[in-house]
Amino acid sequence: MKDIAELALDVAASSGAAYADCRVVQRGIQALTVKDGRFAEVSSFEDEGVGIRVIVDGAWGFASVDRLDSDSLGEAARTACRIARASARLRRQPVRLAPAPVAVGAYLTPVERDPFEVSLEEKMDLLVRADEAMAGVEGITTHQASLEFVREHRFFASSEGSQIEQVIVESGGGMDATATSADEVQTRSFPNSFGRHQLCAGYEAIEAMDLAGNAERIATEAIALLSAAPCPTGSLTLILDGTQAALQVHESCGHPTELDRVRGDEAAYAGTSFLTPDLIGRFRYGSEQVTITADATTPGGLGTYGWDDEGVAAQRTVLVDQGLFCGYMSSRETAADYGWSSSGAMRAESWNRIPLIRMTNVNLEPGESSLEEMIATTAHGVFLETNRSWSIDDRRLNFQFGTQNGWEIRDGKRVRLVKNALYAGRTPEFWRTCDAVAGPSEWRVWGTVNCGKGQPSQVIRVGHGAAPCRFHDVTVTAAS
Amino acid sequence: MSLTPAVHLLALADSILERVGRDGAEVAVVEHEEGLTRFARNQIHQNVAERSRRFRLRLMGDEQVGVAEIRGDVEDLPGRLVAAAEAARQLAPPGEVTPLPRPDAGSDGPAAHSPATAACTPEWRADQVLTVAGLHVAAGLEAFGAVQTSVTHTAIANSLGVRRHAESTAAGLVCVARGQSGWGYADRHHRDIGGLDARSLAEETVETCRRNQGATTLEPGIYPVVLSPYAVADLVGHLADLGFSALAHQEHRSFMRPGEKLMSSLVSIADDASHPEAMPFPFDDEGVSTRGVSCIEEGVCRSFLHDSATALREGVPSTGHALPMPNTFGPWARHLVVSAGESSLDELIAGCGRGLYVTRFWYVRDVHPLRAVITGMTRDGTFLIEDGRVGRPVRDLRFTQSIVDALADVQGVGRERSIELDEGERAMLVPALSIRRFAFTS
Repeated sequence: MKDIAELALDVAASSGAAYADCRVVQRGIQALTVKDGRFAEVSSFEDEGVGIRVIVDGAWGFASVDRLDSDSLGEAARTACRIARASARLRRQPVRLAPAPVAVGAYLTPVERDPFEVSLEEKMDLLVRADEAMAGVEGITTHQASLEFVREHRFFASSEGSQIEQVIVESGGGMDATATSADEVQTRSFPNSFGRHQLCAGYEAIEAMDLAGNAERIATEAIALLSAAPCPTGSLTLILDGTQAALQVHESCGHPTELDRVRGDEAAYAGTSFLTPDLIGRFRYGSEQVTITADATTPGGLGTYGWDDEGVAAQRTVLVDQGLFCGYMSSRETAADYGWSSSGAMRAESWNRIPLIRMTNVNLEPGESSLEEMIATTAHGVFLETNRSWSIDDRRLNFQFGTQNGWEIRDGKRVRLVKNALYAGRTPEFWRTCDAVAGPSEWRVWGTVNCGKGQPSQVIRVGHGAAPCRFHDVTVTAAS
Repeated sequence: MSLTPAVHLLALADSILERVGRDGAEVAVVEHEEGLTRFARNQIHQNVAERSRRFRLRLMGDEQVGVAEIRGDVEDLPGRLVAAAEAARQLAPPGEVTPLPRPDAGSDGPAAHSPATAACTPEWRADQVLTVAGLHVAAGLEAFGAVQTSVTHTAIANSLGVRRHAESTAAGLVCVARGQSGWGYADRHHRDIGGLDARSLAEETVETCRRNQGATTLEPGIYPVVLSPYAVADLVGHLADLGFSALAHQEHRSFMRPGEKLMSSLVSIADDASHPEAMPFPFDDEGVSTRGVSCIEEGVCRSFLHDSATALREGVPSTGHALPMPNTFGPWARHLVVSAGESSLDELIAGCGRGLYVTRFWYVRDVHPLRAVITGMTRDGTFLIEDGRVGRPVRDLRFTQSIVDALADVQGVGRERSIELDEGERAMLVPALSIRRFAFTS
């Protein structure tokens, strides 16, 4: 990998690049699915290639290729430089990069059981047991369970002298049980919705999920939802479980604190941000209960690594401190606009994409409450679990989320199951009503595997540490 | 360097089938080249190119199926591909395995292809940005967007004799304009770069942005709307995903009730992979010829889209809408065509009385699948229609609305249609629509 990168950097330099970096990536993915006891699939995906990013005449160019012979690498490096020259025709100010220390080193995701060493029989046995347990609940229409494992070997080198080798290992799994009636489709998922929960970890993460042990429960819950009452409507107290709190953080804090959105780099696609730099240190984003960090060192998080994809070391950045907005996730280029240093949040989906500012692990720091205490001290409200629907505007202010499961709370007790819950609000007004966050014992790192951004589109996996939390005077309705 | 001709990719697929040396094998080879130039604040800020080739092998036998896919020029690719697929197959528990399709009589055309797009350069893309940025600078506005060109060569072969190949291209230009207090939007998609017309696109974004300054708040509620084709594409794409697939029907999660009239007689929607304006492509990911399917005919629910698996369950032929098999997603609509009406856009607006004109939706998500309820925001130009004319801009609104109910309330359909591509590169040929009632919730 080192030879490949050095060759690409040499060609880039001789083609006029003032700066160049190169990422060589080899990736293996193994996916297993069992659905309805009669469909089973085992698949593997191997991928390798190289991406070369250059600055020529003060402008960016990037080219990627999946062939690693010297002719292909040379052509890709020259193409990147040609593209940069085309970019320079519409570039008023040359690209400036915030200084970053030259980095030489290696990083390996800590794993207890290498998921690629675990037999396929063991994995498939787990899925079959989970699928059968869901099937055993009368009335379930469809049910499926799946596992996915990723190993990504990356080598980064830059013309500044950085040389970094990293091996990232991910393990993910999940299951869904769906029940239908004449006018309802109700799905319950475990541990999280949208396919699976995933961590930078070994097979021990799968074992800790206990898929088979939770299968009957979620299938039973899906059936119960068919005949559950619609979620009550009104301005209510709202308690979110950790998974929904994680998505709330992702959409309403993670994305608006990406500094490229503030510059307008994503305006045509992902959108901009209501959090402008003049608000740093003086804008009340949330209540004093709310502290949110971007931490690429969180153990197990899908945004955990040694260095980002432009060679900046993993770090922890405070985004919101006791409710006060105080920082961004940034790159070397965006940080230079403000005289800052990069927060180390540049990530690329793979070798064929440029790095963009992406969430690392954006964490709602734990508080001092507990779920049971929150419920016990709520006069009338709802406790909502597991995302079903999510939508937010392009500045990240106006949101509406729906969840799979809900409980109405009256006088400190869960009184009935409710379905089709929706809640809506505006980001800062919502977070300012947060009066409780559960403590460290209920705080978990969740994996979001489907975060999209950029053109061409890049889907990246990010982490969110979160715990149950409570909000007041939230607009709650039921989908109908 | 140009891509490998698709017919040569077919020879590569054949060589892997030979390596497998038995029945129950399917190989897909896809070579792809793409260039994309992004601009922000009237400058190019990201500019990329990608070239790759993927091999995918599906192996079946003994009621087991295994899949292996390799992207990249790895050492002994055929050997590694076959070994990985066979290892996966042997360890998969026995289950329902849909047989491979047999060859059909379909031809390997038409496919949306343009030599000019295939040969497009970064300099040409920069020229388009220069045109767009120049018009925005002259108007005192900032332009943001992307110019994208791609060429894809596809070959699919299986051990029952299916042998398909096709070459396709796509070009797109997307732009939003920013003024002091509002935005505008336009996009263009075509197989040929000559169909993008950067100047007309820039004129449209500038005009929309100029109108969309100083927006005021409007109370949420139910309003008549005229939706631009950009907004209609979002509705139709979600409608197809929620209900047009035979798998959704078989799993009792589709809103479709065949034979029942659920929508206005003005609404007809088909999936038509041979329509010359809908980025045509001749076959699906199993190499089955894609047939035209009428899903909604004058408001009446008609037929579903099938792949081999859903077709087998119902004892009908596949309609050629498979994604790479096997999968749990089911058949997918790739070429949605909404029938044109008879009204100009001005006539739709004039017929609306008092309502809203929506340029574009954003972040649309499902809320209640069986009732086809979705939510999302308006974006980049929402205007009050008063006295039958587009008037003052209003701030973006959230809607929560059943698509089926909205299409039941259609009172006018535009006669002009535009081609839209969604994130999955699904083509949608759509007109503007006038709808009596549309629910804005915040």
